[in-house]
Amino acid sequence: MRPSSGLWLVLALMALWEVSARLHWVDSPNWPPLSTVVVALFHDIASGELPPLIGGTLWRMGAGLAAGSIAGVVVGLAFCLAPVTRLLLGPAVELLRPIPVPAIIPPLVLFLGLDDPMKITVVALTAFFPVLTNTMQGVAAVEAEAVQMGRTFGVGPLRRAAFIVLPATAPYALAGVRVALGLSLVVAVVAEMIAGEAGIGHYLVMMQFAGRAPEMYATIILLAVLGYALNRGFVAMERRAIHWWFALGRQADG
Amino acid sequence: MRHSPGILVLVLVIGFLEFAVDAGMIRRALLPPPSATAEVLWELLSTGEFLPPLLSTLKLVFAGFFLGSAIGVALGTAMGISPAMFRLFEPLVELIRPIPKSALVPPLMLFLGIDDAMKITSVTLVVTFPVLLNTLQGVRGVDRVMLDAARTHGWGLGHTLRHMILPAALPFILAGMRVSLGLAMVLAVLSEMLAGQGGLGFLILDMQRSFQLRQMYAWLVILAVLGLLLNSIFLLAERRALFWQRR
Repeated sequence: MRPSSGLWLVLALMALWEVSARLHWVDSPNWPPLSTVVVALFHDIASGELPPLIGGTLWRMGAGLAAGSIAGVVVGLAFCLAPVTRLLLGPAVELLRPIPVPAIIPPLVLFLGLDDPMKITVVALTAFFPVLTNTMQGVAAVEAEAVQMGRTFGVGPLRRAAFIVLPATAPYALAGVRVALGLSLVVAVVAEMIAGEAGIGHYLVMMQFAGRAPEMYATIILLAVLGYALNRGFVAMERRAIHWWFALGRQADG
Repeated sequence: MRHSPGILVLVLVIGFLEFAVDAGMIRRALLPPPSATAEVLWELLSTGEFLPPLLSTLKLVFAGFFLGSAIGVALGTAMGISPAMFRLFEPLVELIRPIPKSALVPPLMLFLGIDDAMKITSVTLVVTFPVLLNTLQGVRGVDRVMLDAARTHGWGLGHTLRHMILPAALPFILAGMRVSLGLAMVLAVLSEMLAGQGGLGFLILDMQRSFQLRQMYAWLVILAVLGLLLNSIFLLAERRALFWQRR
């Protein structure tokens, strides 16, 4: 493939970054050359400083994402299949939804402390809403004939929910989880930036305070790579899990 | 009233919390009785003390939201109608997009300090990308036949943009802006927390750290209501702008 103009633009900007720092066009300790940042990144990974931090952050993200996604699917199914639950709990959910996530961290710190339980809860709360929304869209899109056929064959309501509605909803719910995945990493890092002394988010803020700019930029690059890789990995997993959906040539980006 | 049973549940929950705190089931050090929080909230509201922090947060959200949306729509449209622009900017956009914008707050603080410039920049950054990608998708989705028809009728680029491409892409653009509005609030609150100068985000964190919990919960309620209001206003505006869509 011939390198496109866009690739040249990226390379030119990277070169500009390197040269502007090396030749002191931007003369600031906060503006290290790109090569120094890359060296810092590999050094911090090889020295074993970053890997445990990444592991901790990913663990909190994963636990919160799993808990929030399961809650989102369960509540979404309940809201649609047993409308009385939506009548009772809907307003409470709608009141919680627009609160910006960082703002719920201070009260949660009081109840759950600064460590994993608080951070996992914050991530779970973030992941809950997109999964809930998409699950409800998915249930609404289930073909009425499929449910009616189940009823004709004498399948009970719980089994209908588990074996007819849930699989048909899966593509939508998974699209919600994919959105939640991106948010989860961001929120896990945000929680670490605001509270506690663990994980990659805390490291990032420490490097800023310590004025260690190369390490700070290296952390950001690492986070971008992580986010990109997680998304790519999830999409691949999604394609395998619901291959029948894509075989039907459909899309659930809802 | 469609919502009344749910609102009744909320009232019951608040009533129960009041009782539970009174009866010592929940420690006052964690949750003051809702009535005490309500008192503080009333004081903040009636004295007008709530306005300056609210306005300072609102300013960040609005400035960042409009700047980011403008950049997103402009760049997205340019990339959507011009293959050359698309080839030029696509790799750069794909490179910057996966960077968590919240992680950019620390370096932005180094360069722009802790004033509004830093906070508005971080909000702008987070707003830009969803709007850009949605605009691109919307502009590219415009019916070829319609574009050919416009050319047949001798419409210029500006005219086609204003009367065909942008209206057709509007549902996508607005959907992106709706996502971005939530993100704008998140980044505004976060950068206030990290920069520690003022605004609702700073106050909520500061009140918690100084154990003024009634104040913390009162400010949190104010922030939640602000979020709810902004969301509802946007949904309303979106519905009016897209009146021609079937709903």
